[in-house]
Amino acid sequence: MGWLRYSWLLVPLLGLAELGGHFFFSRRAPRIGDWHQLVQPVGELREPDMPVVVAPYWAEPLARSALGSSLMPMRDVARPDVTGYARALEVSILGEEASELDGWSTAKERDVGDFRLRVRENPAPATIRFDFVAELGPKRASVFDGPGGECSWNAHARAATGGLHGHVAFPRERFSCRGGVQHFVGVTVVDDERYRPRRCIWAHPSDRGALSIVYRAVPLGKVVRGYGALSWFLMRDGVGTPIEMTVEIDGESIGEFVHSDEQGWHAFEFSTGSRAGAAADVTFRVRSESPKDRHFCFYADTR
Amino acid sequence: MKLHRLLQSKLDPLLAVMLGVAYVGLLLSTVGDLGYARDEGFYYQAARSYERWFDLLLSQPGAALERSAVDRYWGVNHEHPALMKSLFALSLRYLHDRWQWISEAGTAARFPGMVVSALGVSVLYIWGRQVLSRMGGLVAALLFALMPRVFYHSHLDCFDVPVASLLLVTTYAYWRSLRTASFGWTVLTGVLYGLLLNTKHNAWLLPAALIVHWLVVRGRAVVSELRTGRLSIPSGLLAMLLIGPIVFYATWPWIWYDTGHRLAEYIAFHTGHEYYNMEFLGRTYWKPPMPLAYAWVMTLATVPAITLVLFLVGLLDAARQAFGDRVVALVSRLARRLRRRRSRPQAGREAAEDTATLTPEVSASTPPTREVPGAEPCNPSVEIVETARSEPPPEIEDESLLPSTERSLQDDFPGASGSARASSTEWLWVLCLFISYAPWLSPSTPIFGGTKHWLTAYPFLCLFAAQGFLLVAARLEALLGDRLPTRISRLNAVPVALLVCVLSAPAAITLDSHPWGLTAYTPLVGSAPGAANLGLNRTFWGYTTGAVQDFVNRTAAPNASVYVHDTALQSFNLMRRDGRLRDDLRGTLNIHGSTTALYHHEPHMSRVEYQVWVDYGTTAPVHIAGYQGVPVVWVYQRPQDAKRPARGR
Repeated sequence: MGWLRYSWLLVPLLGLAELGGHFFFSRRAPRIGDWHQLVQPVGELREPDMPVVVAPYWAEPLARSALGSSLMPMRDVARPDVTGYARALEVSILGEEASELDGWSTAKERDVGDFRLRVRENPAPATIRFDFVAELGPKRASVFDGPGGECSWNAHARAATGGLHGHVAFPRERFSCRGGVQHFVGVTVVDDERYRPRRCIWAHPSDRGALSIVYRAVPLGKVVRGYGALSWFLMRDGVGTPIEMTVEIDGESIGEFVHSDEQGWHAFEFSTGSRAGAAADVTFRVRSESPKDRHFCFYADTR
Repeated sequence: MKLHRLLQSKLDPLLAVMLGVAYVGLLLSTVGDLGYARDEGFYYQAARSYERWFDLLLSQPGAALERSAVDRYWGVNHEHPALMKSLFALSLRYLHDRWQWISEAGTAARFPGMVVSALGVSVLYIWGRQVLSRMGGLVAALLFALMPRVFYHSHLDCFDVPVASLLLVTTYAYWRSLRTASFGWTVLTGVLYGLLLNTKHNAWLLPAALIVHWLVVRGRAVVSELRTGRLSIPSGLLAMLLIGPIVFYATWPWIWYDTGHRLAEYIAFHTGHEYYNMEFLGRTYWKPPMPLAYAWVMTLATVPAITLVLFLVGLLDAARQAFGDRVVALVSRLARRLRRRRSRPQAGREAAEDTATLTPEVSASTPPTREVPGAEPCNPSVEIVETARSEPPPEIEDESLLPSTERSLQDDFPGASGSARASSTEWLWVLCLFISYAPWLSPSTPIFGGTKHWLTAYPFLCLFAAQGFLLVAARLEALLGDRLPTRISRLNAVPVALLVCVLSAPAAITLDSHPWGLTAYTPLVGSAPGAANLGLNRTFWGYTTGAVQDFVNRTAAPNASVYVHDTALQSFNLMRRDGRLRDDLRGTLNIHGSTTALYHHEPHMSRVEYQVWVDYGTTAPVHIAGYQGVPVVWVYQRPQDAKRPARGR
């Protein structure tokens, strides 16, 4: 057992190993400036409607900063999920893979410095026929906050932001309703239960009756599918009253979605039945027993 | 010869001062690019208010003592006691405003915190020197100074390292009062405890540790004293309980009026503190139950591993010295019996093996022991075996860097007996360390302060680490000393080489971490990128504005409104006042009213970034600053104002 005496040597060796570990790990990730070398290869590999997905997720701001909003638009960065994309461009560092692309195949792969770029293919992409968030506007939609109360479209409303502890951003372009600044219908971004961004339609219920958002001549698929949420940070204590949202096609209800605060980014899906392939008016009716501070926001599409 | 003797006698105080001065120098030389944390802005504002009261006190003492004046000036930030803020005020008044020795107001406010932090380094050296050896003191002081989080917090005009320092200093004075029975040390202990109370509420826990220490070390003697009604309470403890509150009261004018109510309010504020958000292992906690592993995992992730290993070695060594003989003897006997039962036919050979293997192992790492006359062998009670440590403590004249094989301790509690008495100092260290972590044994204790709330444990952790260092050095000396040329051996080559080996990583990690102190993690978790992968907190307090100040100065439009996000407006304004940010820039809390927006990343604050996206119409930051490739703080500019920036760091 005399060799045990030599185990004391492990202490200085550990000290040196930690020093080596520091130099190794501290230089392992690409420097922030290195991300700019991605602009050209990403531009070459990325096709329209192909989101850039960064792994690990914490590095995503670096990609946004380097690639800009044109390659990483809000629509993709604050996507509802990836099911509607046929392909995605994965930017990976440190050997990480994006978990939301699990099961997707790799069509192309290229190494750029410390980065690995992969074009990933969705084995079963959904065909989005109509994106209600993208189409929100006076051309396709009308909004009513109770009987006889039409909310007017305003492309130059007073935008507002709640800051550190306040509400999510109130956009400039929106349908303005009665009852105060938060009573409107417009596109904003909320944080989900993992504090990730979700682009959605702000639909604060009204105390004058159901808030109705009517889309005209919507091309239908087999389902109306989507998600509902409130800002997780603001509503995660789950003390608010539930929100009910009914989806109607040509005045006929196809389903009701009930959302509680603590459910986070919460999915719904309603069948369109025999109407698949046709075009029809789709109405979302939002209400809550106690509408105060029900900062409801939803995403929906037909597919 | 006289000079030599004088130098020898003053060498340790001199070294202690030099360590402290060097630490202040290092902190001052690195403070320039460290932005002001959220709380620093609040404390600066409070300090300026207290400064006005001090002015009034000097000019119209009667008016200053009136309730209206006290309420007016001391009401600011009265949820925290006043000592450090008063020192910030005096530093601002004299070192910045009047004498202009420090050109930046923010640095002047920070200076007292640096000095008190450095005091902790110096006292660690002194205590380590007195208990362990010169090298032990040096190791304890340097390991503490070279903890990344300690280094970061030592820069600030906050209370976290100051309270750790003052808790150490108070405990040291108490320890001295135990050993010397000196009136001076006793009074000093009481005064220091009053100042500690007036620094931060961590002070409330110290008496509990000292009372438990007293009970542990005195043992059964306390019971018999209680019976006779002649309880011998340490004078230092009494001084803390009697003098401490008087000093606390005297140095915090806010509680001069409506004392009971204000104290109750102060206590209620901290015992019922609001829960803030903190990310831990990929989850953001904002309400109880908090994860019980938090303090331990974060300690592992932020304190250099070599420091923790040395601490463990030192702790085990102390435990061995206190209990080890009995435990080892008990284990040996149990092992022997077990072996005999398993293989009766080979009993004779087993017994021989026991002697040949177990005993040498024990003797290799165990000090000589002697049995206390009349005690039962192998009885696990405290009185059985007492470590033979009868040598006097190392004196100043001792030129050796290492202590003798087994260091010695005086009895801290004359009259008590047993190894608990002999290991009284280690008990004190362990208990102070334990009480610093104790609040995090409850799932209802908030975790929002990251590691800063248990920094008080670290000086004691480092004292044990120093003890571990000495043990390792002694073993390596025994192993390698004979193989080295005498010339090299005389130079203490082994301990010096070991010192280099154990300090190099803490030094590299700590110096590299600046100015990203709260983003810094050790290689054990893969440094900052590994911590980001694990979902450990990346930053808080909004202090990293300092890391983007040059970019903002260079690119923001004239008179731009800058959304400050998590940086307090007071901290932003202090940066402007100090010339770190352009004077024409205005800080704002309104994103929509801004043209430049800062964002300090914490997951629960992502909503703020999304507000910027919608309001500015872009998802692309124009600049990102971060550490080891991990983004920490980023800047947005409204597209019409944006200039394409130079590449981020």
